[in-house]
Amino acid sequence: MSYIKLESISKSFKDDKVIQGLNAEINKGEFFVIFGPSGSGKTVLLRLLSGILLPDSGEIKMENAVINDLHPEERDVSMAFQNFALYPHMKAYENIASPLKANNISQDEIDSKVKEIANLLKIDHVLNQYPKELSNGQKQRTSLARSLVNRPSVVLLDDPLRNVDAKIRFEMRLELPKVLKEFNTTVIYISQDYREAMALADRIAVLYDGKFNDIDLPKNIYEKPSSLTTAKLFGDPTINNFNAVISKNENRVIAECNGEKIILQRKTSIENGECIVGIRPEDINLSNQQTEESLKVEFRTKTPLNLRIVFLVKLSNGLELLCSMSEEEAKNIKEKEQLYVSFKEDKCLFFDAITKRNLE
Amino acid sequence: MSKVILNNLNKIFEIKAGTDVKAVNNFNLNLEEGEILALLGSSGCGKTTTLRMIAGFETITSGEIKISGKLVNDLKPAERNVAMAFEGYALYPPLTVRDNIAFSLMKEKISKNEVDSKVKEVSELLEITDILERYPPSISGGQQQRVSLARALVRDSDALLLDEPMSQLEPQLRAVLRARVKDYIQHNNKTVIFVTHDQTEAVALADKIAVMEEGDLKQLASPYDISSKPSNVFVASFIGEPPMNILKAKVLKTETHLTFEILNDKDEKNFSIKYSNNELNKENLNKIANEQIITLGIRPHKINFNKETTNLEGKAESSTYHWLGDQVHIGIEIGGSSIISVADRNFQPSSDIKMHFPSESINAFNRDSEEVIFNGI
Repeated sequence: MSYIKLESISKSFKDDKVIQGLNAEINKGEFFVIFGPSGSGKTVLLRLLSGILLPDSGEIKMENAVINDLHPEERDVSMAFQNFALYPHMKAYENIASPLKANNISQDEIDSKVKEIANLLKIDHVLNQYPKELSNGQKQRTSLARSLVNRPSVVLLDDPLRNVDAKIRFEMRLELPKVLKEFNTTVIYISQDYREAMALADRIAVLYDGKFNDIDLPKNIYEKPSSLTTAKLFGDPTINNFNAVISKNENRVIAECNGEKIILQRKTSIENGECIVGIRPEDINLSNQQTEESLKVEFRTKTPLNLRIVFLVKLSNGLELLCSMSEEEAKNIKEKEQLYVSFKEDKCLFFDAITKRNLE
Repeated sequence: MSKVILNNLNKIFEIKAGTDVKAVNNFNLNLEEGEILALLGSSGCGKTTTLRMIAGFETITSGEIKISGKLVNDLKPAERNVAMAFEGYALYPPLTVRDNIAFSLMKEKISKNEVDSKVKEVSELLEITDILERYPPSISGGQQQRVSLARALVRDSDALLLDEPMSQLEPQLRAVLRARVKDYIQHNNKTVIFVTHDQTEAVALADKIAVMEEGDLKQLASPYDISSKPSNVFVASFIGEPPMNILKAKVLKTETHLTFEILNDKDEKNFSIKYSNNELNKENLNKIANEQIITLGIRPHKINFNKETTNLEGKAESSTYHWLGDQVHIGIEIGGSSIISVADRNFQPSSDIKMHFPSESINAFNRDSEEVIFNGI
C-alpha cells in the first residue's frame, strides 16, 4: 500500500518551473532514491516533502491525509544533510539527543535511545566528542543518528555520502540499508551518483528538468530506460548512441549508419526507418577474431576505469565506440593487430530519433 | 629522452617566523618524452605546488627543474615553453572561443589554414564546435574548462601542464573525452603532467602516477603497479573503487602451511586464510615471522568465487548484493569482519558462499611503518 503520495506537485520560482507536475507513490518501509543531475530539482522536491517549501499546486499525502499545510515540525519526517549540519558547541551525544529534548521524554529514555542508535551506527565510542574532533565519516554517522533517534516514519536524506571519502562511502552503502530496515523507516534519499542510487534503492525515481522520467527498479532502469536521457544518466562510460536506419529481414535487424551495416542479433517489434541505436560499452564484443556479424575497427586508445578496461575504437565510417571489459578479458586483446566488434546478442536499445523515447 | 627532470625539489612556506610548512619534500622525477604523469593526492598534499613550480608560478626553495635538458629554475613562466591549463588561468573574455584557442598558435608562425585545421580538430575532439563563436562569459563552467584544455592541447610546447583538467566536466562526457584526449596526446607524442584528486581520472589517463601526501611522494609507478603493487597502506587504500579490503592479521607458520588469522579491534579471531607452503614464494614467506601482526590487504575484484574450494575458515554470508549494470558489489560478513567484493554482472551468490583469496593477490604491510612487505606471496 502506498504510504506517501505525490499528486501533480508543482513549484516555480518566478518564471523558473523547477518542479512540474510530479506524481509518485512511495510504500511504507521503502528505500526510495530520487536521482538526477545537478539542477534537476532534487533539493527543492525534498524541501517540499519536509514542509520547508510549499507547493504551488498539487497534494502531498501521508497515509491518505493531505499534509500540504502542516509545518515541518508537525510532519513525522526528519532530515539529514550532505554538509552534516551538526551543532558545533554540542558533543556528539547532545547532537543526537537534540530532537528528543523537545518532547518531554525522561532522561533514561533519551539515554537508551541515543545509545541504541549510536551502537547501530558504530559511533558509541565518540559520543563524548565535539564535532570538530570527529572525522568526516563520524560526523556523517552522527548526523544520521540524529535524524533517526526519534524513529521517524519518514526520513529524508539529502545526498549524505557526498562529502565523505570512498572507504566510508562504501561502508555506509553496506550498512545504511540494514539500519534503516531495522527501524522500518520509509527513506527518501537524494543522490546524483547513479551507482549509489542503484546500490541503495528499492526503487529509483529519475528526476530531469523537474519531471520524473522513470520510476522503477534499478535493474529495469538500467536495462529498459524509458528514454535516451535516462539511459545516458546510468552507466559509466555512458551508453554509446548513434543515428541509424533500421531494416529487418527474417531473424536479423540491420542498422545502417553512414554506409556501415551493423548486424544486430535480436528481435524487435519496431518499424523500419530512422532511429537512435544505443549500446552499452559492456555489451560490445571486441576481439581479434572475425565473425559473420563483426565489423572492422581501428584501435585508438584504452583507459582503465573502475577495475575494468575501456577501449576507444573507430569504425571505418568514423563512428567512435567505447567498449568495456574486465582486466582478465582485456589481456586477450592484441591491439596492434586487426580488431573487430559485434554487438552482444539481445542487447542494444532503440530510441525515437526526435523524441528520444525508448521505442520498445 | 628525458623531457622533465626534477632533482630534490623542495618547497617550504614560511607562515610566520619559525613555523615552516614543508609543502613539497625532496621530489625526484624523470619523465620521458611522450609520457603522461598524474600528480595525485587529496587537497593540501603538495601536488598543485609541484605543478606551479614546474610552470614557474611558484619559486622553489631548493632543487633543480630541467625541461628538455635546460635548467629552468630562474626562467619566467613564458620563457619555459610549456603549455598550461590552470584553474584561474582564465580565458580572454573579449575574444571568442575560437580566437582564444587560435591565439596560442600565433607565436608558431604557421599558415592561417593550418591554424584553422588545428582548431577544428581539437574542437571536435572536445565537443565545442558549436560554441566557437561565443564569448567565454556566456558558456558554462564545464565548457570553459574544455576550451582551456583545447587551448593548451593545440600549442606546440615542450610540456603540457594541466591543473585538474576535467574536474568540471559533465559526468556523461567524462569517459569519452578522457579517451579522446589520451588518444590525441599519445598520437602527438606530447609530454604531460596533470594534477588531480580523482584517482579514477589518474588511472584512466596516466602512464605514471605520483601519489602524494603531506608533501611526500608516496609512490611513483604505472597505474597497474600502483593498483596491484602498492608500496604502502596509504597508496593501497587511496586507489580503487571500491577500496582495498584492509584487515589486521596474525601470521601463523608451520612446516607445511601459512595461516593468516584475521583479528578484530579487540584482537579476537574473526576468520583465517590458509595456504600450503609449496604454493608460495619462499623468499616472500621468509619476510614474515611466526606470530607477527601485519596489515593485510586484498582488492575486492581479486576475491575468487569460481573455485569449488575455499581457503577461508569461518562462516561467510553475503549481506548485501548491489547490481550496478556492468558489475556487482557483494558485501560479505565473515566471523565479524565485513568484506567487499566485486564480481561479474551475472554472478549470483549462493547462501553458502565459497570464497578463495588467491595468494598472488595478498598484500602484506608492516603494522607500524605501514610499508609493504610483499605484494602477492
